[in-house]
Amino acid sequence: MLLRSGGTNGGPALGELHRRLKWVALVGIVGLLVLAARLWQLQVMRGEGYFVRTVSNVVKERYLTSVRGKLLDRNNVPLADNRPAFSFYVTPRHFTPAVGAELARLLGLSDDELQRVLDRVAVGRKRDARMPIVVLEDQGRDRAARVEQALGRLPGVEVRHEPYRYYPQGALAAHLIGYMTQMTADEADRFLNKGYDPNELVGRYGLELAWENYLRGKKGIERYAVDARGQRLDEKTAATLIQGERVIGAVPGANVILTIDAELQRMAEKAVAHVPAAAVVIVEPRTGKLRAVVSRPSFDPNVMTGHLTKQEYELLRRDPRKPFVDKALRATYPPGSVFKFVTALAALEDHHATEDEGILCTGAYELSGTTFKCNATHGKVDLIGAIQKSCNVYFWKLAERIGLDRIAETARLYGFGVPTNLGLNGDAGGRIPTKAWYEQEQHVKYKIGYATNAATGQGDVEVSPLQMAMAYGAIANGGTLWVPQVVERIEASDGSEITSPEPKIARDIKVPADALDIWRRGMWKVTNEAGGTAFDHGYVARVPVMGKTGTAEIRTKRKKEPNERNIEDWHPTRSHAWFAGYAPAGDPEIVILVFIEHGGSGGRVAWPIAKEILEGYFTKIHPVAAPEGKKPEAARPVAPAPAAGKKPEAKKPAVEAKKPVVEPKKPAPDDDLEPIDGDD
Amino acid sequence: MRGTGLALPRSTIGVSRWRRFRAAVDWPLIITVVALCAIGLLNLHSSTVGTRHHARCDTQMRWMIVGTIAFVVVTVIDYRALVRLAILGLVAAIVLLIVVRLLGEGAHGKGSYRWLNMGSGQPSELAKLIVILALARMFQDGEPTRYTPEVLVAWGVALAIPVGLIAIQPDLGTATLLSLIILTVGFLAMPSVWPMVHVTLAGLLAIPILWEKMEGYQKDRILGFLDPNPQGNGWQTWQSVFAVGSGRVWGKGMGESTQKEFVPEYWTDFPFAIWSEEWGFVGSFFLLAIFGFLIVWILNVGLSARDRVGAVICVGVAGMTFWHVLVNIAMVLGIAPVVGVTLPFISYGGSSLIVFFMAMGLVANVSLRKHGY
Repeated sequence: MLLRSGGTNGGPALGELHRRLKWVALVGIVGLLVLAARLWQLQVMRGEGYFVRTVSNVVKERYLTSVRGKLLDRNNVPLADNRPAFSFYVTPRHFTPAVGAELARLLGLSDDELQRVLDRVAVGRKRDARMPIVVLEDQGRDRAARVEQALGRLPGVEVRHEPYRYYPQGALAAHLIGYMTQMTADEADRFLNKGYDPNELVGRYGLELAWENYLRGKKGIERYAVDARGQRLDEKTAATLIQGERVIGAVPGANVILTIDAELQRMAEKAVAHVPAAAVVIVEPRTGKLRAVVSRPSFDPNVMTGHLTKQEYELLRRDPRKPFVDKALRATYPPGSVFKFVTALAALEDHHATEDEGILCTGAYELSGTTFKCNATHGKVDLIGAIQKSCNVYFWKLAERIGLDRIAETARLYGFGVPTNLGLNGDAGGRIPTKAWYEQEQHVKYKIGYATNAATGQGDVEVSPLQMAMAYGAIANGGTLWVPQVVERIEASDGSEITSPEPKIARDIKVPADALDIWRRGMWKVTNEAGGTAFDHGYVARVPVMGKTGTAEIRTKRKKEPNERNIEDWHPTRSHAWFAGYAPAGDPEIVILVFIEHGGSGGRVAWPIAKEILEGYFTKIHPVAAPEGKKPEAARPVAPAPAAGKKPEAKKPAVEAKKPVVEPKKPAPDDDLEPIDGDD
Repeated sequence: MRGTGLALPRSTIGVSRWRRFRAAVDWPLIITVVALCAIGLLNLHSSTVGTRHHARCDTQMRWMIVGTIAFVVVTVIDYRALVRLAILGLVAAIVLLIVVRLLGEGAHGKGSYRWLNMGSGQPSELAKLIVILALARMFQDGEPTRYTPEVLVAWGVALAIPVGLIAIQPDLGTATLLSLIILTVGFLAMPSVWPMVHVTLAGLLAIPILWEKMEGYQKDRILGFLDPNPQGNGWQTWQSVFAVGSGRVWGKGMGESTQKEFVPEYWTDFPFAIWSEEWGFVGSFFLLAIFGFLIVWILNVGLSARDRVGAVICVGVAGMTFWHVLVNIAMVLGIAPVVGVTLPFISYGGSSLIVFFMAMGLVANVSLRKHGY
């Protein structure tokens, strides 16, 4: 016994204390012995019974997936939907290589596929070996049935019925819609904190990413009990094992209804299908609502969402056209002559230009020792003629008068240089150079050549096709620059409205009405009168269209990247072709912007595509009767047959003939200044 | 060392100070505490490894470091100096409990504000130590005639106030624990045991009245204990008993607990259930024996203490340890209702851990100074 009499140390008063202390110790020991006896009873006497009843049962918790909201076009055509499918789950704790082999045999998995399954199990094992992790998703009914029948031989494997994301229109509007992927190990923590299941797909790009929070809904939870072999126990047994609610229902995600018109989108995509790379933006100038946004090349979101193989990914990655970059929203390019409205409006507003001032275009322009070539020798032209024929000399003159910073100031008014706030795919701001930018950031001395370059949308000016479309929207509606809008309405799964964003105005531009009128009359001639850069390549008879073409030179000769793919018809040194315009002229309903990357001439390449889309729009989507007779005939003495693009035989050779003369000579004693031979 | 009231065994005169100090340190006490901490950590690790709760191991280890520092601090200060401050401490504790009650009004959803975050822990946990020191102050006098009924009643009221305040928090577990500590010390140190017998009987008779005053969930727990069933009140007890029983003689092995998925919050109040499941009767009995040794050893220190104050402190700490172990394990074994009483050094949680480190510091303090001043 540890207790020994401590009487020798204590005074007489301690004696009684010590006697009682021993009693206290005795009571304590008896108390602990009672516990030991109870332990004996539970563990030794009844232990076997408890063991049998507990060892095999395990409670599992799993998320009940909420059905993801749909993406619908303005007419409720589904662009992103869910289809019934099965997922195979594995609980890493019960998984053995033999199970993997059996699964592979059963499903005929390739070594690659099996490796992917094993990788996922390894990741799951690291995270929580008791948590089922998805190894194969989006499986068909027959595979599910095969696995289900063999579950006895596949401990730890489960088959769950889980709808899978699916894009019924295939690659239609792929950049806009985006796609989903599994979360990576690095992001997992962040997502798990937000209540995601590690197996879930997350919106990765496009609207799937931007509206993730609305689309995903809220997951439910189901708790259930399984025995040692992973077999689910019946409800009655489960009730004795699980405390509280066993099922908390999921809340389905909200449906996002877009301003996009799937039919128009399809039309636009079809119209650019024959070029290697392009962007099309169609927007309502009355509201800023986007009706179609095309970026080509793209991808099939169905493939991207969980079915992308290494080879397919390699193929996309090695594509020099960069299929993962949204060319309408994210990429920026020199705009060429479609940008000239900035110069014209600035000069008119400052009274540095008038409608009828004639300037002589000799086909060349001398500027501090460098000769710049115009795209043709236009002779004496007035401002409207300069717009119609896209005479560079005229605009260079204006640029000399107003200077670079005035151009930049006006450009910014029209939304260039800053993102449009669409909030999608990294919506780009582009670049509008100023004197300060050259001197402070580029550390070069400002030259007047920078102003003349900017005046025709060349040099360091870069804009996104979306920005250009919005700017032409402002020209069409008399000065209201809209924030582009792609979401019309958000509805809960039961159809009740959650929100519908109002169109937002970015800026009311105070543009003098007469200046705008002059530019518009110039645009009218571009598409409606002989000699117009567009008219010579086609004419829309159904509605009056106005617009401006642009052919933007490429500054840098680009190097081929190692192992990039060869793409047919892809000439990375060719100019970019632009067309921006709207229709109908008097009461603009849609603005259309067509951009063909390295497509060549704006009039010859971009305009016929815009024309095809406009004709489609006004026959199928908003049919208007073709006005008999009047303007079309009167306005087009030269090219009578509107038979798609190829009729102006008379004009074409002339333009083509000029090109070779123009292109090879860039005398460039000063290689910063680019001779412009831009527009046709 | 004289200044600290530390005396060294006479037989070691002439030996270096360090060796004399080492000889005076209560090694069995320290080794026992270290062993319990190690078991606690092992159990926490094996029951949380591979789950999102595993980070608790690190937290617990950090608390153990803080606890060790607290242990050293409490050991170094002469316990008689601490006892001299006991009345002040009691007043401070009462004020603090009242403040907590006033501040906590409506601040907590669960209707219980003992967890109001006051710096590092719960004032009610610390109250246990203060009550032990106050009891030592109360019974410091060896002369029986000094304990007049008036004095005893005054002390009784002074001690009843914090107990009452904690009870209405409501933290019945801690209040019961405090009462049991006071009763234990009373039985030991009162000039006559009869008043204690009366108080105990009165307390037992008051149970029906207390029952009426209890909150619904408290009643539920007791009812659940009386009639364990998995659907209603007895969920925790039911699952805990299953865990213990299924451990059988040798246990399921480390990390093999399956019941932890059913025992809610097992790391605070039910770690013994997981331990029993994984290590069986052998491991459970071993842990029980370590606690038994610890309690007996503390009483042994009390027996060899230089004065009544030291003896009463040891009985207080032994009583606190004993009642914690008894109530917690009885609860795990399904023979006591579920109350929030921790298992010393095994339960996860900073405040309980630190209070027990400090309590062991008091014992080491008495042990260090047993040979004179």
